[in-house]
Formats: sequence, structure tokens, C-alpha cells
Amino acid sequence: MSLKGKIALGIFGWLLLITGLHAYLNVNWAAVLNDYRPLDQRKITVAYLPVTCQLTCPVTDYISKYSLSGEMFLPKMFQGFPEIKEALISNRVQAAFVVAPLAIALVSQGVPIKVVYLGHRYGSAVVVRKDGPIKTFADMRGRTIAIPSRFSDERLLLFRAMKVYGIKPGEIKMVEMAPPDVSSALAAHAIDAFVMGEPFPSQAELGGFGRVLFQAREYWPDYMSCILVVRQDLIDKRPEVVQTLVDGIARSGLWLDTSKPHRENAADFVGRFYYNQKPALLRWALTKPMDRVTYSPLAPRKADFDMVRDLMIETGVLNKKIEFSDYTDTRFSDQASIQTPWRYEPGIATAR
Amino acid sequence: MATETLKTPSGLRSKLRMEHVSKVFDRDGKSVPVLDDINLDVSEGEFICLVGPSGCGKSTLLNLTGGFLAPTSGSVTIDGQGVHGPDPRRILVFQERGVFPWLTVEGNIGFGLSKLSRVEREQRIAHYIQMVRLQGFEHTYPSDLSGGMKQRLQVARALAVNPDILFLDEPFGALDSVTRLIMRGELLRIWQTERRTIIFVTHDIDEAVQLADRVVVLSSRPAKIEDILTIDIAHPRNISSPRYLELRDELLRKIGLAYTV
Amino acid sequence: MNSLAKPAGWEKFFWPLLAAGLLLAVWYYSVVWTATKVFPSPLSVDKGLAGLLHKHVLWADIGDSLRRVGLGFGAAAIVGIPLGLTLGWYPALNQVVNPVLQFLRPISPIAWIPVAIVFFGVGDRPAVFLIFLSAFFPILVACVSGVSNVPAIFRRAGRNFGLSPAQILTRVVFPAALPQILIGLRIALGVAWLVVVAAEMIAVDSGLGYLVIDSRNSGKRYDLVVAAMLVIGLIGLALDLGFRSLEKIRSVRWGFRHES
Repeated sequence: MSLKGKIALGIFGWLLLITGLHAYLNVNWAAVLNDYRPLDQRKITVAYLPVTCQLTCPVTDYISKYSLSGEMFLPKMFQGFPEIKEALISNRVQAAFVVAPLAIALVSQGVPIKVVYLGHRYGSAVVVRKDGPIKTFADMRGRTIAIPSRFSDERLLLFRAMKVYGIKPGEIKMVEMAPPDVSSALAAHAIDAFVMGEPFPSQAELGGFGRVLFQAREYWPDYMSCILVVRQDLIDKRPEVVQTLVDGIARSGLWLDTSKPHRENAADFVGRFYYNQKPALLRWALTKPMDRVTYSPLAPRKADFDMVRDLMIETGVLNKKIEFSDYTDTRFSDQASIQTPWRYEPGIATAR
Repeated sequence: MATETLKTPSGLRSKLRMEHVSKVFDRDGKSVPVLDDINLDVSEGEFICLVGPSGCGKSTLLNLTGGFLAPTSGSVTIDGQGVHGPDPRRILVFQERGVFPWLTVEGNIGFGLSKLSRVEREQRIAHYIQMVRLQGFEHTYPSDLSGGMKQRLQVARALAVNPDILFLDEPFGALDSVTRLIMRGELLRIWQTERRTIIFVTHDIDEAVQLADRVVVLSSRPAKIEDILTIDIAHPRNISSPRYLELRDELLRKIGLAYTV
Repeated sequence: MNSLAKPAGWEKFFWPLLAAGLLLAVWYYSVVWTATKVFPSPLSVDKGLAGLLHKHVLWADIGDSLRRVGLGFGAAAIVGIPLGLTLGWYPALNQVVNPVLQFLRPISPIAWIPVAIVFFGVGDRPAVFLIFLSAFFPILVACVSGVSNVPAIFRRAGRNFGLSPAQILTRVVFPAALPQILIGLRIALGVAWLVVVAAEMIAVDSGLGYLVIDSRNSGKRYDLVVAAMLVIGLIGLALDLGFRSLEKIRSVRWGFRHES
């Protein structure tokens, strides 16, 4: 065979090899085939981030695989809120876990979504360096603290704490940073503190250089951050799917709150199969102490959201006073309140 | 080494002396002999031409005398002192790519003159611009000069530092025949104005007979000195005179001899 | 079209403007036809730009980004040119150092962000560091190759005229390599300006790159995203044109193509 022939054959063989490997290893055939099913039988795609406060999403998916009705939805992991936002707007995902202020901001900008459920309660903390100069929150004056985004409850939490100590808004420097960067930034003295959701405070603690200054509940009882939003057209066209989704999330939340072995099991399968984080880290975040994050009650309450909205307006990230009923649909959470936890035990391959 | 003033066959002071010079190159593990036992005495102010087939090692010989290469055996001495490296007292002139394209004509000529005072330097530059007849082009860049002008510039640059010896390696090879004739005349004129020892490499027989006092015929590689021909015609040489044609024929014969090795 | 033909004076402006106009039309109609909910049309981008100008933030952003790129690029030139000249001059040294450099070169600046934060903190300094990294390697490579491509004839002439090695480097090798160094600088400037978006991801609060990221993060302001992209593109074009005019300077013009 001539040289040209050999090169052509080589290229063709290489393409065949990597296509085959790709199809075998990477392609999520469930998702691909789902796109070809008729619209009313298609499974919805739910977006989530690898953070502990959105644990109910992968937990529901995992457990529902063992249930009689099979997998409930197709979970899709993202690495940041902007991507989730774009996917929601262009209908590549039909439901997503986002943070409350972001959902309110999106609705005020005209994106057709509704809040249907919460993801968790608590789970955020302010972390400082273990041997650092900050001993109480009053020491934060003049220091730099990292927040995940200006549309986060963590930022609002800071403002609540500042009000208690009489610290004025310019006196603490807030920088927006990507959550994975904050641990090393804290260790390298680039920032003096950070306020993030789990598992990043745990990461700093386990790394030996971080100390939790205070948990969210100290300045914000009933703190909630991550919530479940669903596209309006899905609610209109297939409300039963939304109900099934909310029911599943509710049952997962109750299951997680039942006992420690459930949480340890969740840390294991979520860390390994979904989040790609060390199960030891998730175990620490979920069990030390047990109420670092809780997953019930998760029905959206007007009082919680009105407070978030008012804080957003006060701190300048929202300029429209929109009503709770404009962006929430509580039908589904009302129905879900009668749910019971999943009957699933680790090691037993059925669930109910 | 003793600095005695040696006398060459013509009775003048010896300027450049090569004794048993040989050069062997190591290429890919094989040793390639290029020069074989070259012995040559050049007197001060002489115009020597080196003639030989291409690839015979003429350029290597030039580089040896210039100090860019070291001989494998034998010695090269100038004014009785051994040659160990390049020196501004002996300047090499290449084919036209040797001028510095980022400098003007003035800048090129003044390149080797940085040790002089500004006034002296300007005087020298003006003098040599006049000598090579490049007036009016002081601020021109080489990219706007013709091939012949670039060669004149190179010669001017070489002369400006007042070298004892000038080596020219086929400097007119890239020029057309009319320009070549003109340039030969120019070179002779300059040589007669400011007399220096010149060693001129060429493969053009006419050029050798027209320019040189003595023509050194080199054989093909490994090069040996086949013969040395003395051109005893006074300048300006009539290229139709019988003596010229006689010498030219003799040179042709000698080269023919060299080729049949 | 004759490949040697040079465009006439008026043509230099007419054809690019026509092409730009066509692109704008294609953009507008593709937005309208696909009824996309995310990508903005030229009109909304225009309005967004006007809003930014009205709020006086655009000039501050442009200034901040240019400052960071200026610092990073300048540092890369100051470190890269002498280092490149040295490595080109001593091939043995180049053989030792080159593998390390070629190993570091393909690592994207975004991957360096965590390292940058650890060493430089947050704010301006790590951004400048990332820009420095991205500009450093093109400059270095161009210098090394420029030096090794200097014809031996020039170096020999330098030695012939009695110049010391240091003088040969500064008076012969550097001017001879300068056209290639300039090309390397022009490419490096382009890369540095390109990287500014990535560099401004590290907790800065101003700049064109920051504007892109921030507008995307803060909701549905994709018109600002595209507006910032346009400004970045225009400034990149201006920087490139400015650099090309450097190539017309007479002492380097010999290294670039021109009518003979």
C-alpha cells in the first residue's frame, strides 16, 4: 500500500477507535434516546451543581432507579450557575436547582420559571483561618471575604450579621470567587474569610487551616439557599411530572433526615457516582454535626422569600418588588407534604 | 615567533605567509580533507587571485587566513604573527548579502568606526562614500540599492577600518557581466589609490588575469597549489593585447592540468 | 484576483466595511429567524452599549483592561526578550531549558488560576500574572528563532570588525533578529488581549473581561456580553493595526514584504 493509503487508513482507523470509545465510555445513551421519545413521554432533565445543598437531586435519582416506576428524571450536572441559567432559558433543562436570589432575579427579568420546592435548610457557614486574627465577627471590619455571587443568600447572610454588629456596608470588602478556589485562597492568605455552602467549609476544616466562625442559622433561623425551579411551560403542560418530581425530592429529604447510616450511604454513592468528590468529605459535611445541613421541611414559605426579596432590594441587587405568588407555585409542595420517606436501605436493591 | 621581515620572491616585504597549511573537516564521522599542504607567500600591497574549480576549498582557505577557522596542521602568519582569530586588520568581503540591511549606507560604512571621535568618523565615512562613488546615497537603506551598489558599499565598509589585508570571496559573482567589468575597474582604482594587500577568490579566469599581480591555481579537492602565475602587465591592462591573451591561455592550460587530477 | 495586487486607497476602507455590514445583517436575521431567547440582536447590543457609555463605566473598564494587559505584556517583553536572545545565542543552554519551556507553554492560563491565587492573592496581581504567562511564550519562541535565523554571515562580519561577543549580540544579532522579534511581540499582544477575559475571572471588579463574565452571571444581560465582546474585538483590531505600523519603521522594514 502506498504511503498515502497508509495514512488514510491510519486516520480512518483512529477515528473509528475514538468514536467507539466515546460511544462506549462517554455518551449518556439514556439522555440521547430520551430526546427522540414523544414529547409527553419524555423524561425531564434536571440541572444541579455538585454542592451538598442540592444533594436531594442525585439521591432521588439514585433511589428512584431501584423503585418500581424506575428512574424519574435525567439529572445533569453543571459546574456553575451561568450555564444552568442558559440551559433553563433555552429549554435544554426543564427544572434546575438554583439559589433563591438568582431565581427571584431571573423572574424579575422575565424568565418564565416558578419556584416549586426548596433544596435544603442551613448548610452555609463563614470560615476563617484557624490561627488567624479574626476571633469574632466584629474583627471582620476592613477585611476581605469571598462570596459565591452577588445573587447568593450567603451575601445576604453577611448583611444580616453586619446589621447585628453595626458594621456599615463599605467596611467589609466582598469579592466574588468561584467556590472551588476559596479553600486555597484562604490558606494562601489571599482572602481573610469566605462564606460558602457545603462542602467548602468542611473542606477548609478537614484541610486543617479553616475554622467555622459561625453557621448560617446563628444569624438567620430557617436559612434556605438552594431551591428547585421549574419552567412554566412544563407546569402548564405536564403538571403530573412536576408533582412526581417534587414528591421524589420530598421523600429523599425525609430519607436523608431519618438516620445517620442513610446519610453515610448517600455520601458514598453521591460522592462516587455523581459529584466526583471524596466520600469522606461529604460524610463530614453531612454528619459532623448532623444538623449542619437539613433536608426538611422543604415547602417554600412566603415569609422566607419575602425576607430574601427585601434584603435583595435593600442591598441593591433587585429593583422590582415582586410578589411571592408571582414566582412561586405552592400547589406541588402542598401535595408533597403528605409524603413519607423512601423505604430504601443500603445494600437492599429495592425501594418504595 | 621571530618578527623578521621576510623577503618574498619579488623582493618586497612578506605580509601573509602560509606554511604547510592543511585542513581536514569531520563530517558525519568521516574526515574530509579539503586543503592539502598549502604554501604561499604574499607580499605587502600585492593583488593575489585564487582560482580553482567550485567546491575546491577556496572559501575555506580564505576563512583560514581570515582567522575564522584554524588549520588542522601548518601555520598562517601575518606580519610574522600567527593568526588566531578574526581581526579588523584583515576584513572579508562576501557576496552582496553581507551588508547590514538595518543600517543606512552611512551606518554600514561607520560600523567598524565606533572607537573614533564623531568628527573623525564622519570624515572617514564621507571619504569612502566618495571613493566608491555612492555620493547622494548616504541615507539610503541597502534594500533600495542595486547589487553593484551593495558591493561597493561592502568594500567601502571594509576599507573604512583601514585593514592591512582585504579578502574578497567571489564578490562580483552575483552581478551581471557589464556591472562586473565596471566593478573590476573600480576595485583596481581603489586599490591603486589606497594600496593594500588584496586576496581575491574567483572562478572567472578573465577576472584573475585582469586584476591580479599573481594568480594562484588550486586543484580540485583536496586543494593543492598547482601553480602560481605572475601577471607582468602594468595597469591599466589592455584585454586585447597579445601578452594578455598569452597569459590567459597559459592560465587556461594550467587549470586544465588541475582539472585532470 | 492577483495575489500580488495591493488594494487602492479607497478600497482599503470600502471592502472591510462592506464585509462588516454583511456580517451585521447575517447576525440580525439569524437572531430573528431562529427566535433564540438567549442570543441578542444587534439592536439590543447597541442599546446595551449606549447604556454602558451613559453610565460612564465603559471607559473605566477599557482603561482597566488595557492597563492590566499593558503591565503583563510589558513584563513578558522585558523578561522574554533578553532571555530569548540568550537562549538563541547559546544553543547548549537552549537545549537544557527548552523542554521545560515547551512543557509549560501549552498549559492554558485558566489552569493557572489556582496557582495565581496562591502566589498573588486576588485582584489585579494574579490577572497581570496570567496575562504575563500568555504573552511570555510567544515572545520567547520568536526571540530564540529570530536569533538562530540570523545569517552566519552577519555574525562573522561582526567578529571580523573586532566586536566583542556582547557587542555582536547588541549591534548585529539584535537588529538582525528584530523583524522576527516584532512578529513575536505582535502575536503575543494578540494573545495577551485574548486572555484578558480569562485573567479577569479572578475576583477583579472592573475590566472588559469582567464585564463579559459578570453580565453573564448576573441574569439575562447577554446584550452586554456581546457588547463587551465587540469592544474587545475592536480594541484588539486597533492594537494590531498599531503594531503593524511599527513594522514600517525603516530600520526593520527590510524584514517584511514590500514591493521591490
